[in-house]
Amino acid sequence: MINQYFEASVRKWRGLLLFLAAGLAGCFLLNLSFGSVDIPLKGISSYLFGKSTGSDSWDLILSNFRLPKALTATLVGGALGISGLQMQTLFKNSLAGPYVLGISSGAGLGVAVAIFLGFYFGGFLELSGIGRSWLLVVSAGIGALLVLLTIAFAANRVRDSVSLLIIGLMFGAASGAVISILQFFSQAENIQAYVIWSFGSLGSLSWIELSVFIPIILVGLIMAFLLSKPLNALLLGENYAISLGLNMKLTRHLIIINTSILAGTVTAFCGPIAFFGIALPHLTRMLFNTTNHLLLTPLIILFGGILMLLFDIIAQLPGSESTLPINAITALFGAPFVIFLLLRKKNLNYTFQS
Amino acid sequence: MSLISTRELSIGYLVKSGNKVLQRGINVSINNGEIISLVGQNGVGKTTFIKTISGLLPSIDGEVYFRDKRIISLTTRKLASAISLVLTEKPGSLNLSVIELVALGRHPYSGSLGVLRDKDKAVIERVISETGINYMANKKLFELSDGQLQIVMIARALAQETDVIILDEPTAHLDLHNKIEVMRLLKKIASQGKAVLISTHDIQICAQLSDRLWLFNFNSPLIQGIPEDLILRGAIHETLFLDKDTFDLEHGTVNLSQGGIPVVVEGTGNTVFWTAQALRRKGFEVTDKSDLKVKCNNPAEWNVISGTKTRSCSSLEQVLNILEQSSNLQ
Repeated sequence: MINQYFEASVRKWRGLLLFLAAGLAGCFLLNLSFGSVDIPLKGISSYLFGKSTGSDSWDLILSNFRLPKALTATLVGGALGISGLQMQTLFKNSLAGPYVLGISSGAGLGVAVAIFLGFYFGGFLELSGIGRSWLLVVSAGIGALLVLLTIAFAANRVRDSVSLLIIGLMFGAASGAVISILQFFSQAENIQAYVIWSFGSLGSLSWIELSVFIPIILVGLIMAFLLSKPLNALLLGENYAISLGLNMKLTRHLIIINTSILAGTVTAFCGPIAFFGIALPHLTRMLFNTTNHLLLTPLIILFGGILMLLFDIIAQLPGSESTLPINAITALFGAPFVIFLLLRKKNLNYTFQS
Repeated sequence: MSLISTRELSIGYLVKSGNKVLQRGINVSINNGEIISLVGQNGVGKTTFIKTISGLLPSIDGEVYFRDKRIISLTTRKLASAISLVLTEKPGSLNLSVIELVALGRHPYSGSLGVLRDKDKAVIERVISETGINYMANKKLFELSDGQLQIVMIARALAQETDVIILDEPTAHLDLHNKIEVMRLLKKIASQGKAVLISTHDIQICAQLSDRLWLFNFNSPLIQGIPEDLILRGAIHETLFLDKDTFDLEHGTVNLSQGGIPVVVEGTGNTVFWTAQALRRKGFEVTDKSDLKVKCNNPAEWNVISGTKTRSCSSLEQVLNILEQSSNLQ
């Protein structure tokens, strides 16, 4: 009986994952095709096989803009979803997300300080586009890293995860306050530069930035796979997890580091992309009806990639010149979807007991 | 050799001003095949004791041994294959299926990604059929009743294949039928050679299931012994702060009112028991000598004898009515 059960479930999940992988590939191609200029799928497939699309300008658009953006979107969706999942399981809280530990606030504070100091010393506007984007990436990264170190220190001191959650929220509040003060004392251009960063953007990464971004995110995702087993034990609650042989302190540290790598890197390179991290784990759990992290991890990576690519297509407003902020699109189209699923499910049994 | 033993163990927890010690100088041991109940009032330290000997809480003083090794010297993985727990808390996520929950019991043994090996699957299958939960193996936990959930949690502990199983108030929210199911299951587990430690307030578990009792009292040392000895010595009454006249351990019944009008109950078997119960509930005192007498002829016929007058009744309700009338006259 058991063997049949396990075999049937392996077959079912393998099929589903293959289906989603095919879907991801399809969305990737569509994402490359749509934009201010539509490039036919035939040209794209020949370009991906090392030939030309048949038009030099299309080649240029693909290699300089669309391909980096599509790669970023594919990874960002999964990375945010995974770190949200880890936070929700660690804190046994359905409202937790990748930013509960204050990582995006820390990154935001780093960026705010960089922009305002840059203006103060007068060098910011003279920086070239590349120099400016690296400045933002590095300052956001430093901000996120400082928050991570403080949280890791706090994780050593406090016994329970809920205290840690509250400490993270306090960090967010404090950073937000400092950012407000900085904004209060600065001119309109500074504030505009900061606000544009806070919109989030998938399309701002160059190939050089991608050569840093992709390896870090891949390491984070592989680490997330390896954390599936302790995360599954945590589903029972911390006491049961310890009695099952889990080293709670080590696990908590690893989860925090993993989340910070994923969410911190995404925030540093793409800005604080909201909503996705909280909503994607819920969507995935509801749609596929499982809590097993060994399944949820690949499901979220694939499904998150698909959704982010689709949202990006919408944000491009196909056929038009302008691009909407990705932050607006994710929430605008994601929220009704989550609400619809919740109304259909009628209860929150799929999630955590408080 | 004992599976678990303690030496001069003090338990408690840390507060700002130092240690709050709940129990000190505990020297106990538990062997294969034994069922031991930990009895005491709320707040006396039963759960703290359980968490201490299972390594969830540090001890204040003294040592806990698993076989001949101190548990703090064991790795968490080793400890997880020695002691399994069924706590009062529900699992954090109730969206697990029963089979997934039981499979989590294999956590100390499964591969680094948690993938189950053939041996793990065999154990899960055996445990599921032993505990008789095949019929709900595919259900989600939120679909189960409290009683079913308790059995499933015990199955998870069994899948952990430990020598010792510790349960914190396993029958606390269960109705009688489920309580009996759990007791029967625990008896079966002990008969396979595992040591079972239960914390409980439940008199039936103390008296009918346990091989030995450990009684925890406030501000006095732990008392241990076999249940019947402790009942006869009145130690259980003392531990649970029960009044000897109020609580009848033999029947597990509570006598809430005393000093009512004395009535003699005559007859045999079940009928006498329930007749006496009904009288006590209505405030009469059941004694050996009185003018008022209730004679139970059979489960459908009673004679109420008051001095020389005899009246017959066909239900206990009638009996009570007549007795109340006559007691009002007096």
